[in-house]
This record gives sequence, C-alpha cells and structure tokens, in this order.
Amino acid sequence: MSPAQAEHGPPPMVQATGVSKWFGDLVAVSDVSFSIGAGVTALLGPNGAGKSTLLRMMCGLARPSNGSLTVLGKDPRSDVAVLGRIGMAPQQEPLLDYLSGRDFVELAAKLHQIDHPVEAARRAIQAVELDPDDTRRLSTYSKGMRQRIKLAQAVVHDPVVIALDEPLTGLDPRQRREMIALFHRLGAEGKCVIVSSHVLDEVERFGSRVLVIAQGRLAAEGDFREIRNLMDDRPLRISIRTDQPRALAITLLDRGVISGCRLESEDALVVDTSDPTAFRRAVAPAARERDASLLEMRPLDDDLESVFRYLVGQ
Amino acid sequence: MNPHIYRVVVRSQISPGRLLAWAGLSGVAILLGFVARAADDSVSFATQSMGTFGTNIFAPFIALTLGSAALGDLVEDRTLVYIWLRPVPRYSMATAAFAAVISVVGPIVVVVMTAAAAVTGVDDLLMATAAATALAVFAYSGLFLALGLRFKRSLLVGLGYIAIWELLMSRLGDWFARLSVRSYPMSILSDATGVEMRLADRSTLASYIVPVAVGLAGLAYTSWRLTRTEID
Repeated sequence: MSPAQAEHGPPPMVQATGVSKWFGDLVAVSDVSFSIGAGVTALLGPNGAGKSTLLRMMCGLARPSNGSLTVLGKDPRSDVAVLGRIGMAPQQEPLLDYLSGRDFVELAAKLHQIDHPVEAARRAIQAVELDPDDTRRLSTYSKGMRQRIKLAQAVVHDPVVIALDEPLTGLDPRQRREMIALFHRLGAEGKCVIVSSHVLDEVERFGSRVLVIAQGRLAAEGDFREIRNLMDDRPLRISIRTDQPRALAITLLDRGVISGCRLESEDALVVDTSDPTAFRRAVAPAARERDASLLEMRPLDDDLESVFRYLVGQ
Repeated sequence: MNPHIYRVVVRSQISPGRLLAWAGLSGVAILLGFVARAADDSVSFATQSMGTFGTNIFAPFIALTLGSAALGDLVEDRTLVYIWLRPVPRYSMATAAFAAVISVVGPIVVVVMTAAAAVTGVDDLLMATAAATALAVFAYSGLFLALGLRFKRSLLVGLGYIAIWELLMSRLGDWFARLSVRSYPMSILSDATGVEMRLADRSTLASYIVPVAVGLAGLAYTSWRLTRTEID
C-alpha cells in the first residue's frame, strides 16, 4: 500500500465521476458521482430511476455518455480483462433456456477460464441453495430458481465486484433471508457487492450503505439509518379523520406543527407539515386538549416515488 | 475462437422446426438431381438446377435462418449478456459464432447439394458444386451473422436482401451483378460444365476470392460491432 493509500484508506473499487447516460432525448443517468468500496452497498430507487443503467455501465455493458466510471481502476467497457473480476446478475428474466442450470453456471466458469470449472459450478449452485445434480433445462425453472441460478453464474468465478440487479425479486421470504446472508458473507470477505432494489424495506434489511437514485440523479448517499431519518423527516401531507376537524386544525396551527390545512368534509382534514416528527408528537395531545376523537390518520404521499421526489428536491 | 461459445451457439441453432425445414429442402435438392438426370440436356439442366437452387436459394436461406439467429437471437432475447460479460476477446466470440454457423450450414448445404450433383450423373459438376456451395455458405454465413447483430428484425431484412438485391437488382446490369454474392459461385458451376448462365460470368479468381472476402468482411464487422454495441 502506498503512503497516500495508507493515509486515505484503500482505493474505491467502483468510482463514478460525473457519469451521465442518455438515450436520444431521454436522460437515464445525470451527472452521478460516487465511490464504492468493499462490503454491501444498496442502490435504492424507484423503477426507471436509472439503477439498472448504472449497473450496466459498471459492468461495461453500456458506455457512459459523459463522465467516467472505473472498476478496480479500469474502464470495464474497454478493458475486457477486468470483466474477469466482475460478476453480474442482470434484471432480465430470459436465460439460455436450452441449457441445464448446471451447464449454464459451468459455461460461465469455463468462459472465465477458472481452474476446475465443474467443481466451482457445483459450489456456486449449492451456495444459492439449488441442486447441483439437477439436469433439468432452465426453461423448466421457477422464477425463484431462475433468480438463484443467475446469482450462481455471477459468483462462480469468485469476482471482486458483484453487481446484482433486483436479485431478490421472485424469492420467498426464507430464500430472501438466505440470499441477504450470502450478500453479507461476500461483503465480509472484502468483496464489493452492489445490490439494486426499489423496495425500501428490503434495503433496510441489507443494513448497508445506500445510494439513493431518483430520476437519474444521486439523491442521497450514506448509512441506511441516515437515509431513513432523512426520509422520515421530509414534509408530509396527512389526511386526518376526526369528529372535530376545525378545532383540531386550529390547535395544530397554534402549536406551529402544521404549515397549512384544508377541511375536506365534516369529519376529514388534510394538513401539511414540514416537521413530521413534531407533528406526530403533537397530534394526540392536541386532540385530547380539544376532546376530539382521532378516527384515522393517513399520509397521502408516503409512496416511495414521493420519498424519492423529495430527496431529489433536497 | 472460443470453444464454449461455439458449442452454445451450435446448440441454440438446432430445433425440431429447423430440422424439418432442412429435411424438406434437402429432399427438393435430391429430387432436382433425379429430374436433371432424366432430362434431355442433363448437363445444362443439372448446372442450372445446382446454380438456381443450390447457390441462389438453398445456401442463402439456410445461412440466413442460422446466421442471423446465431447472435441475433441472443440480442433479441437479451441473453447475450451471459456471454458478453466474460473476459473473452470480442473477435473470439465473433469467430466462435461464425464457426458455429458454418459448421451447421456447411454440412447441410454442401453435403446435400453435392449428393444432388452426384445424382445428376454429370461428373464435372460434382467438385464444382461442392466448391460453389461451400463458398456461398462462407459468404452468406458471414453476411447474415453480421446482419443478425446489426438489425432487430434481421430475418426480414435478410429475406428482403435476398429477394430484392440478390434475385432482382443483380439482373439490372453488370455492376449490380458484381455486387451480388450469388454470381460468383454460379460462375464456378458455369466454368466447370461450360453451360452459360445469366450472371455467371465472373473470372475464376474472383469467383473464389470474392465470397471468401465477403464472409471475412461479415466476420470483421461482427467483431467490431460486438466491441461497440451496448448490451441490454
């Protein structure tokens, strides 16, 4: 390790600098910069946010329209050799259906020119909890099995950087737990595991560093707890059903926990708050003070899209 | 050439439907051989038959169905990623796919057409048919391999190319004919038996060199395209 590295820590395994990617008029990724090291990193964002495009660029499948993206210091697009140290499970479902699962993983091992490809394929298939002696064609595999065999071909050559695009789709809860444990094992071994997902709770279970991608931009990055807090603290519009909407609205306005309100009906109120935490603390005492019954409280913009929109605005 | 990719491509090309189509076309070729043998001017009829059916129809259509599918199908069903992601030089992938197409199309077309030529009983036609169809297979395989990677509906584009360029435009004049692949293998047949055929007036040297050059150009384009294309 050079003195500079000793001072600043190990160099990042994946480094993106001002990366943009556009397809005609459509901007899929816009000026994204980040660096990723060993361990599990989640790429979180809604469908169409640009996660898959970023992963594809990391694996050399697509070229950035602007900026640079290196993996282990090399351009994966032009340096074929670095692909030997990258493993990827793409999002798309189709596989080489005329092969058996074993042949499919063995093919990957052989193309990576690793020693003992047959044994390596067996190990990889066992690691994803499939039967290495299963000779059925991939066309007969269920969705969960297809997801797992994709993971097996991604790790069969013991890559350093592993990019997994929505790898938990189609798995049952037990399989998800096993796969997440596998990601953690790989991360603990010093590998750089990048997992994309559009499911907030799923990413929470990775318990990892998170890059939030929304509308092609890097909306936030950091430890999952920081991101979660950021998401929890964003302005909210909340629908409240109560028998005394007017009185409750006045009290909440007086306490300064809402910035606006609208009476929807004789028992419904919609309020805007820029401090959801303070609002949550204040609403029950306010109702008690007015002797109002709280029948229902429901956030109107709690879907993931609105969370990401907010983060992009930040 | 990568042997693993070669095997995958060969395996992907063989399907029951295709086997049935190849068997049907092979039957027609052998039948033509018997018809030519029974014809009054069997040399002329046999040469015309081997040229018209073998190099104008059989070779290009079989090469089209397999060549365009070799990499084209992998692009279309988005499975090329499982080959492309590996540290294999792109020219090696292209060469493996090309070899796979040749090794399936070659035996079907060359063996069947040579057998058909043997059935005609015209001795001069035997080696000429083998050479002409082999060269046609080489040229069309390279051409359609590249086409499969370049166009989304490559089978339709290829059919359009065969029908419009090879079969129609090539008749418009000598310069058009020079740009038609089929005129070169047909010239080999014409040279061998002395039977004059339309378009079959290329020099012997050109008849051998041009189809090889076309096949290699298709292979080179495929290699280049694999390095440039973005994989979905």
